[in-house]
Amino acid sequence: MNGLLRARWAPLLAATIVLGIVMGAVTRSFGTAFNVYVILQTAALDTVIGLSQMVVLAAGDLSLAVGGLAAMCTIIIGYLFQVHHWPAGLAVLAGLVLGTAGGFVNGAIIARTRLSGFIVTLATGTAFTGIAYGISGSAAYSDVPSSVVKLSQGRTSFFPYLMVLSLAVTVLMYAGLRWLPDGRLILAFGGNRDATMLSGLSSRRAQVTAHTVSGLLAGVAAVMYMGTIGTATPAAGGDWLIVSFAVPIIGGTALAGGEASAFGALVAAVVLSAISDALIVLNVNTNAVEMAEGLLILAAVLASRLGEAAQRRTALHRAFGWRA
Amino acid sequence: MTRFAGFGSNRVRAVALVADQGPAVGLIVLIILTWTVFGVINGSFVSSFNLFGIGQLAARDAVLGLAQAALVVMGRMNLALGSVGAICVSLLGYMLVSADISLPLTLVVVAAAGVIASVIMGVVELRSGLSSFIVTLAFASAYGGGALLVSRSANFQINNSALNALGSGTFLSAAICPLVVVALICGGVTWVIYNRTSFGWKSLAIGANERAARASGVNAGSVLLGAYALSGLLAALAAVMESSYELSVNASVGSDWLLPSFVAVVLGGVTLTGGDITIGGILLAAVFFDSLQSGLTILNVSSYWLNLAEGLVLLVAVIADQARRNRRGRLRRSRAVVAVEVTRV
Repeated sequence: MNGLLRARWAPLLAATIVLGIVMGAVTRSFGTAFNVYVILQTAALDTVIGLSQMVVLAAGDLSLAVGGLAAMCTIIIGYLFQVHHWPAGLAVLAGLVLGTAGGFVNGAIIARTRLSGFIVTLATGTAFTGIAYGISGSAAYSDVPSSVVKLSQGRTSFFPYLMVLSLAVTVLMYAGLRWLPDGRLILAFGGNRDATMLSGLSSRRAQVTAHTVSGLLAGVAAVMYMGTIGTATPAAGGDWLIVSFAVPIIGGTALAGGEASAFGALVAAVVLSAISDALIVLNVNTNAVEMAEGLLILAAVLASRLGEAAQRRTALHRAFGWRA
Repeated sequence: MTRFAGFGSNRVRAVALVADQGPAVGLIVLIILTWTVFGVINGSFVSSFNLFGIGQLAARDAVLGLAQAALVVMGRMNLALGSVGAICVSLLGYMLVSADISLPLTLVVVAAAGVIASVIMGVVELRSGLSSFIVTLAFASAYGGGALLVSRSANFQINNSALNALGSGTFLSAAICPLVVVALICGGVTWVIYNRTSFGWKSLAIGANERAARASGVNAGSVLLGAYALSGLLAALAAVMESSYELSVNASVGSDWLLPSFVAVVLGGVTLTGGDITIGGILLAAVFFDSLQSGLTILNVSSYWLNLAEGLVLLVAVIADQARRNRRGRLRRSRAVVAVEVTRV
């Protein structure tokens, strides 16, 4: 319980609960089961988008290609399912494999050329988006596997089934980074590149693994989005860039790499989704949501910076026996 | 290429200067190749109408490249170029169309808005010590949303004869858009800034090695604010340029500026970690990029595949640039030994 309270995202969660209670009391529509379902459904999708970015951030890199990968996966699934009549399971599998392969390509290029992830994924992300628009001719595939739609839109009262998937991905991400050798490698590499390489660990493996997992998760997010809106559109992922950074950063993942907070990302996704829903319920223009997201990212990074400074001070005090 | 090379002998610098024209020469060859190939395949590529269109777009992309480069030379980046542009476009539209204010006053206010919006990001970066990536990403979202929110996504039809003459009129021949002249002037001014002013040299020095520059007494804070101001001013100019030839503009102008701005910088041979700038390279890179796009369009490549081509061009450019740098690094090391020998004699 103590650990839970001390987690970086604890104040965030508290603020959201307060916001939820206030909003529920003030407006009639916010507290309804359906609205909570909508919030959690968006949060489930945003969590996976954020985790796709988080695993790359943990390795001290970043990816601008999450949206592009998602667009490509969505379109491939729609294309194979509608045009080539592949069975639903196989089409979805092909999409996920393609996303993973796209992530692998990102990682391989970055590891081989030692270019920054920023410029490489700016290029590949544009290329992936181009593939999605090229294949589909900018049109959407309206025929989407019904099982995916059922799963994505299903709910019991206020709880969307998608949230189960997101929780599972979050737990897997937490466990993978904490206990799997490759997860430890990613964190070690993100924390201190030189030390990792001097310890004889493979830096290429860290980068390639991080980007490959990111690609797989972009694919998962693409499937979730496709089911949620019920069509496979190449515009999927077009506006995911800010969200993909907002979720992990607000959740307490450091931009510099070396640490990651999967559960923080989940909480941050719920917070973001609740705030944008509240703004919509209050009849605020949706563009204000975009603006709020930017300011929230800024607030989150500023807060974490202040927190770090405070931590350093206490660490110094402890080390030298000074009084705080 | 202008590079902060420390205070070595003039002879070493002269040798380095000649060797560093690589990207510009390569780009000229690429542009000639593109024009020849597309011109032979389809004669309408070299028609004055098409060349006019290429010039129009390339002028804007060159200015975007210069705006991005102002921060890239310092080892920073500006993801909010497009959003600053969105603010400027909305303001321009509101003042010219809705409020009917004279063009000169409008331009001054728009330029000031671009500079202020950009400098605010610089102040936040300085005060917080955060990376420019995250600061400009956050502001890209805040400014972009804010511009759409305040302007209510209104479309403005700019009917100002002077502005339209700039964007759609011709200069000297029917193939040259006056905006090309604007871009060339910008290139000239930035060349002077980075070759002849202390601000330019300090920017390059900070990009090459920030700690060393600070230790040598460079006030990195004020130089950074200056760079943000320059970047914002050029973004405002790009916004005016785009408004001058589009039939109608709204606050979503700028949403597709990120890629061309980085293509011009990377293809132009500017190091992403900072410390050097090639003005000619940036201008030529914009011409090559828009020639290629125009050529693919003329070849009837569906516009939906253009994104793929753009992404691949950037990818090939960065990888080729990296390979060239590795080669030059080896060359430079061997040449440095020779240069030391020469100065001894």
